[in-house]
Amino acid sequence: MADVLFTNVRIFDGGGEAPFAGDVLVQGNRISRIVKTGYGQRSPPVLGATTVDGAGAFLMPGMVEAHTHFSWNDQPSLDAIQRMPPEEHILWCAEVAKKYLDMGWTSCVGAAAAKPRLDVVIRNAINDGTIVGPRYLAASQEITVPGGLGDTTAPHLPQHEFAFGAIVSGAEEMRRCVRMFAKYGVDSLKINLSGESITGMPGEMSQFTEDEVRVCVEEAKAWGKRVAAHARSAWSVKQCIKHGIEVIYHASFTDEEALDMLEAHKFEHFVAPGLAWLINTSHHASKWGLTPEVTKKMGYHRELEAAIESMKAMRKRGIRILPGGDYGFAWTPHGTNAKDLEYFVKYVGMSTMEALLSATAWGGPMMKMGKQLGYIREGCLADILLVDGDPLADITILQDKARILAVMKDGEFHRAPPVGEARPLRTGAPATVNRWAA
Amino acid sequence: MSDTLFTNVRILDGTGANPYIGSVLVQGNRIRQVGRSTAPISPSGATVIDGAGATLMPGMTEAHTHFSWNDAADLASIQTMPLEEHVLWTAKVARNYLQAGFTSCLGAACAKPRLDVVVRNAINSGQIPGPRYLAASQEITVPGGLGDEMPPHLPFPDFSFGQVVNGAEDMRRVVRMFLKYGVDSIKINLSGDNFVPGADAKTTWMTDAEVAAAQEEVRMRGKRIIVHARSCASVKQALRHGIRLIYHASFTDTEALDMLEAARDEVFVAPGIGILWALLWESERWGVSHAKAVDMGYEEEWAAACESLKAMHKRGVRVLFGGDYGFAFNPHYQNARDLELFVKHLGFTPMEAIRCATLYGGQIMMRPDELGAIKEGYLADLLLIDGDPLANLSILRDPKRILAVMKDGVFAKAPAIASQRVWERAA
Repeated sequence: MADVLFTNVRIFDGGGEAPFAGDVLVQGNRISRIVKTGYGQRSPPVLGATTVDGAGAFLMPGMVEAHTHFSWNDQPSLDAIQRMPPEEHILWCAEVAKKYLDMGWTSCVGAAAAKPRLDVVIRNAINDGTIVGPRYLAASQEITVPGGLGDTTAPHLPQHEFAFGAIVSGAEEMRRCVRMFAKYGVDSLKINLSGESITGMPGEMSQFTEDEVRVCVEEAKAWGKRVAAHARSAWSVKQCIKHGIEVIYHASFTDEEALDMLEAHKFEHFVAPGLAWLINTSHHASKWGLTPEVTKKMGYHRELEAAIESMKAMRKRGIRILPGGDYGFAWTPHGTNAKDLEYFVKYVGMSTMEALLSATAWGGPMMKMGKQLGYIREGCLADILLVDGDPLADITILQDKARILAVMKDGEFHRAPPVGEARPLRTGAPATVNRWAA
Repeated sequence: MSDTLFTNVRILDGTGANPYIGSVLVQGNRIRQVGRSTAPISPSGATVIDGAGATLMPGMTEAHTHFSWNDAADLASIQTMPLEEHVLWTAKVARNYLQAGFTSCLGAACAKPRLDVVVRNAINSGQIPGPRYLAASQEITVPGGLGDEMPPHLPFPDFSFGQVVNGAEDMRRVVRMFLKYGVDSIKINLSGDNFVPGADAKTTWMTDAEVAAAQEEVRMRGKRIIVHARSCASVKQALRHGIRLIYHASFTDTEALDMLEAARDEVFVAPGIGILWALLWESERWGVSHAKAVDMGYEEEWAAACESLKAMHKRGVRVLFGGDYGFAFNPHYQNARDLELFVKHLGFTPMEAIRCATLYGGQIMMRPDELGAIKEGYLADLLLIDGDPLANLSILRDPKRILAVMKDGVFAKAPAIASQRVWERAA
């Protein structure tokens, strides 16, 4: 691994200050030196490092996706995701993992896998170098109840192989299920506390008993695992806080009590609303038969409004809101995840700075890596993006792969920046002459 | 896809003809033009690769490939790898074979029912990189035979390395299952193997009725049977049933050789002798000392195989290279070592050895008129080699000497470019 010196870049360090001109030196897998080069200062020369002249490009920490489903296969239904055979499914997951890294997500938090071991296997394969992908925390399947979100068995085909989630009923079944996933080596348990309108059970409904939730959290903590919950209803959000469920996905419906509880425990929880799902299901899924009329009837328009209100309130109260969520359906395809940052600006009222910080500064603790991750600071892990343009002026450029010039993870280029000489010549044939010398 | 022109290369065309200096123009996925002089073809917009005298040869074909063997020391350890890990392993091995210069591989059995099919499909759809691939079934065997890894107290098919059948109708059902999955070839273990206690290489176990049922099903669907046949009786059985790709064929007698010679325009033999050599001489670390290997019967088999293969080669039977790489003592990507063994022990010339991997490769991949040679109109599967494989075959298994690998007109391994080297030094 050669050291890399980025010169002539605008550094966004993840701390909330305006970007400054400077140089960044990466040694091994860490950022070892940052020099401000404004006001005519020049950085001392570095011997032996590959120098990347950024030509004024924007250098920022790699982004963290807070609610990732590598195994969702860009299909329109849970059933269609579930039916993919395991061999094809694992190859799909590997392909998606690479795509996330391509798009600048150097860390992802798994939010549920479609088959028991997919997430664990992908995480291990990334870590041992079999495949390329972001830093990853592996999730279990969704744990649900008979008839709840994730129970895709048909009445005449009750075999659990047909189920999208892991179906439990009763505290002891919950305990067995959590233990099984802990044995497989997941980092977090995913529990579906509330419904989901598209599956027939509205998002305002909750589905688990207190006892089941308590056992889930108790057992997960005994194994040192984190619990993450699908919690759209106000009641399920409160359940999360009561039981100490660290990661709250969605939280669309909140009341004053829920918001007060969240605020009181705001540094013990992360909220990832996954607005993309609500927005695109409500308005951009007509191609798959979900016209706005249909989704209005399902209740998604009302939920979207409620979710926006909830997020605005949470933002005011300083609760950590993170991007990501439920990409991997036909109308929220993988790789478009940076839309979440745009949605935060457009709907929740965040500044572009706040939106960027939601993907970086809060990513470290979300990945259980504290402040080692999510900053361009000396000593931090070298997860770095080089961006053509200024995301603080236009947050949407992060959705464009061509604008993300380079992606570095753990000190190594996943996508190296294009080199000046490699640009095609404008005139003359032959187009390029490559000479190999013996 | 941009066009590519190789200039200043020594062309080893793969047909057995002597190499010559020239240039080769690749347009799209085919070889468009082969120039036989030092004056290069006009590039007309193609990317020019100046070979500086390196050897350009057809990509190699491995005739007996097990992507899913995971470099473990025994079949049970290959079998116990969980499915998800196994698929990723298989995908990784496929990519590395291509990097190592094998642009085509003929699957010779996989360790779980769908591994080969899934990886072939993923290669063909562009999801993962890998060679052209023909997907195999699992090994089909009989209770107690090579591939039946079920312990007596755990008689569950999930513990078995191969598919265990008993009787013609059972064979038919299993063959149909694999055909449903979409395999290109059905692998049947006709003989034993010295690896398996109680079912050594000289034993033969399948009934003619079982083999006939398999052959009937396979013919009906236009697929191919490939057989593990070490014993003399199993070689004859294969030929009697019209099986055209025989693996190993270590033990033969005059009758078997006559039968092989009579069918030599259709039949192929891939001996996979690398593993015999490895077990005899290089497996001490994994508990198989030379003395133990001799005891297991590998010395006898090695001697018999050398005699058989020399005789086949003399009689004009096409012998192919490759086989059974993917064990701890016979690891993946060293497959080209077979070519050296052919020359050292079987009396092949280096040119004949290379032809096994090129011209014959196109034939066993069932594309004899467009694969396996550097000829105009052929598919552009090419290797750029630093050095002369005819003078030193071992360079074909040195990644540093394989400067470039092209499959279907696209570089799987692009040649190093002088200008980039300069840039690296300057930095």
